[in-house]
Amino acid sequence: MTATATDAPAPESAGQVAGRRFRRWRGIVAALFAVVLLAVVLAALRPPVTSGYLDPEDAGRDGSRALAEIVRQQGTPVEVVRSANAAASAARSTKLVVVVRSERLTEADLTVLANATGSVLLIAPTDAALARLAPGVERTGTAPDTGPAEDGCALGAAAGAVDFGESHVYRAAETGTACYLYEDYDPASSFFRLVRSEGAKTVTVAGSGRPFTNRHLTEEGAAALGLTLLSAQGGVVWLIPDLPSEDEITGDQSFMDLVPTSVWLFFLQGLVAVALAALWRARRLGPVVVERLPVAVRSAEAVEGRARLYRAAHARDRAALALREAARERLVPLLGLPRSAAADPARAAEVVPLAAARSGLDAPTAYWALYGPEPGDDGELLRLTDLLDELERRVR
Amino acid sequence: MALTGRVALLALLACAIPLFVPHGWVIAAIAGALVALGALDFALAGNVRRLVLHRTGDTTIRLGESGTVGLIVENPGRRRVRALVRDAWPPSAGVTPRTFEIDVPAGERRRAELRLAPTRRGDRSSVSVTIRSTGPLGLVARQLTRQAPWTVRVLPGFPSRRHLPAKLRRLRELTGQQVALIRGQGTEFDSLREYVAGDDVRSIDWRATARRGEVVVRTWRPERDRRIFLILDTGRTSAGRVGDIPRLDCSMDAALLLGALASRAGDRVDLLAYDRRVRARVEGVSRTDLLPSMVRAMAPLEPELIESDAAGMVATLLARSRQRSLVVLLTELNTAAMEEGLIPLLPRLTSRHLVMVAAVADPRVGEMAGARGDLAAVYDAASAERARGERRRLKAELREYGVEVVDAPPDEIAPALADAYLALKAQGRL
Repeated sequence: MTATATDAPAPESAGQVAGRRFRRWRGIVAALFAVVLLAVVLAALRPPVTSGYLDPEDAGRDGSRALAEIVRQQGTPVEVVRSANAAASAARSTKLVVVVRSERLTEADLTVLANATGSVLLIAPTDAALARLAPGVERTGTAPDTGPAEDGCALGAAAGAVDFGESHVYRAAETGTACYLYEDYDPASSFFRLVRSEGAKTVTVAGSGRPFTNRHLTEEGAAALGLTLLSAQGGVVWLIPDLPSEDEITGDQSFMDLVPTSVWLFFLQGLVAVALAALWRARRLGPVVVERLPVAVRSAEAVEGRARLYRAAHARDRAALALREAARERLVPLLGLPRSAAADPARAAEVVPLAAARSGLDAPTAYWALYGPEPGDDGELLRLTDLLDELERRVR
Repeated sequence: MALTGRVALLALLACAIPLFVPHGWVIAAIAGALVALGALDFALAGNVRRLVLHRTGDTTIRLGESGTVGLIVENPGRRRVRALVRDAWPPSAGVTPRTFEIDVPAGERRRAELRLAPTRRGDRSSVSVTIRSTGPLGLVARQLTRQAPWTVRVLPGFPSRRHLPAKLRRLRELTGQQVALIRGQGTEFDSLREYVAGDDVRSIDWRATARRGEVVVRTWRPERDRRIFLILDTGRTSAGRVGDIPRLDCSMDAALLLGALASRAGDRVDLLAYDRRVRARVEGVSRTDLLPSMVRAMAPLEPELIESDAAGMVATLLARSRQRSLVVLLTELNTAAMEEGLIPLLPRLTSRHLVMVAAVADPRVGEMAGARGDLAAVYDAASAERARGERRRLKAELREYGVEVVDAPPDEIAPALADAYLALKAQGRL
């Protein structure tokens, strides 16, 4: 045993324990708090998606009515549809289907759209929509807002530099064009903001809806790019889906279907580990030892119990009797009388005058204290106790 | 068979594997690998079944002190045994450490020391020894619970032995051994010797002086070889705790001091513990062996929750002691128990013996009697005064029968009883 171990540690107060725990955990708590704060700030800084975002009939700042009107003025009819089925039935091989807000499309909607004819323009599609509607295009990440990007291809030549803001980026299709490279990564790689795939049908994917909104349409190149992309002989079918109703979603993939197998296996293995840990902790090192302990009865329990009974029953008579008897027992030898005089009420005539004389109290008071009747109330019992103490103190 | 934390840790680390190889068989492969490693480890772990356990160490410990008990683990097997051992004792044996590790190479033996600091009187036996022998990989262990019997008798503390030197000095004064000039008190004629200036003139033996022609004094000494019967009441009243100590333990302490003193004074001391039957007895033991015998007899005594049988106790006593003796009854002054039990039998007892009743008073009752302030305190005081009044009346009644009564709080009962004995001896009443 070391010297430090033999030193008796001073017992800690609750405050000290709390302080020690706080010091131990404050780093972790501060880090968690910082993470939460950062998340809140980032979420607050993010531009909110308003209800009319990219809506060709919405004249708000995030709507796309301006672009739709320009396209109409150029002689291309723009038909606005609000469901995938309507879009599919309106689609012709000469028409262009513009798909915005694809996060509102269900799996069934995507199937309908994939089977529809005509070329397609996807604006900031979800991964599911991208996979179903633009099979040759693969999303490679998200490019931050770096200001106007150079076109670098034939498709965007008419528009020139366009500011996409924060935008998805894609790998170029095997057959097709790719523009607006995000160059801050490796230039040889494939981070294009605008990609066109020329397969069975022409699919164009734009990584961001920013150039097509009313607010940003006036910026450099945005309107030109919009016109270029939305030029079609047979007209444009602009699909902005309504929010799907509950029963439309039912056939969709559940959360469980989306969890990859590896995660399931991870949790399964974790379960095995937990079970093994439980087995490790559950195994006792030998049986529990039982010991027959002696009964612990406090000797004064009967006396205390009787005191509580007296109190519960307001047994002032008994209490006063016991107190008076005890006081007489102690007083009588001090007064020079035989002990037998204490218990005998008939000898009050001997005891009281002596007690009164020695204590300086008057005889009726001394008589009441030592031989009086039962106290009328609790206050009187308390006074009796005090008087007996006083009498005894004076006689001594 | 027992697992260690390492198995769980390995399984936890293996959670990363399916993230890279997402196939169902990976889980089965991991499980298989764990089982194979575990089986290997189990096979290589030291054999617990063949271990031989021996014990050494103290067989008696005085309450309040500590002792050691050794556990020797002998490994006759071919593999080294690295094990975690738990030597299980009842909690009141106060064994430390609770578990310990041993490393016994093949064919050797190792000794582990346990420290016992018992908190209660009586016999404490080892319950079991559990050995968990871990394999070389530290994954799996062989575990077995074995017996390695050993009993330690925890003797009464005898804290009042610090009073013994003072009481022995007083005893020597009585016998006249200490100070030559004081006339030895007592009634038994000892010898004649020449008068020395300062001797009490009342002790001059005139007849012998006349015969010899020089002044001769008689010396006296107290009686010797009297019998003292100590009776411990182990019935229900002895179970009550005074402070934190059962009344029985206080009584034992007082009995031990009186026994030690009386045996030095040359008296023969016998001990009987009785409730409805004889629980312990020490009789006819030589003077030097008395105290150890008493302590050993008292050690396993526990208060029984039954009413003591006074009639049986008196009958047992009368059957055992023919000659006149001092009967010291260590009990409680409980009015109901006494009036129904002992008091009607007292005449039979006092006619042949000198009876002394020693009882431990509860200081809590005194505290309550002094309580003042609010109503609850006053009712406490009244109840306590009533209890004290009953006790006083009982003592007076006992004294009427010629019984000596010693009533003292727990820390004073032993010296008070010794003083009462010395007073009887000085008066020659034994």
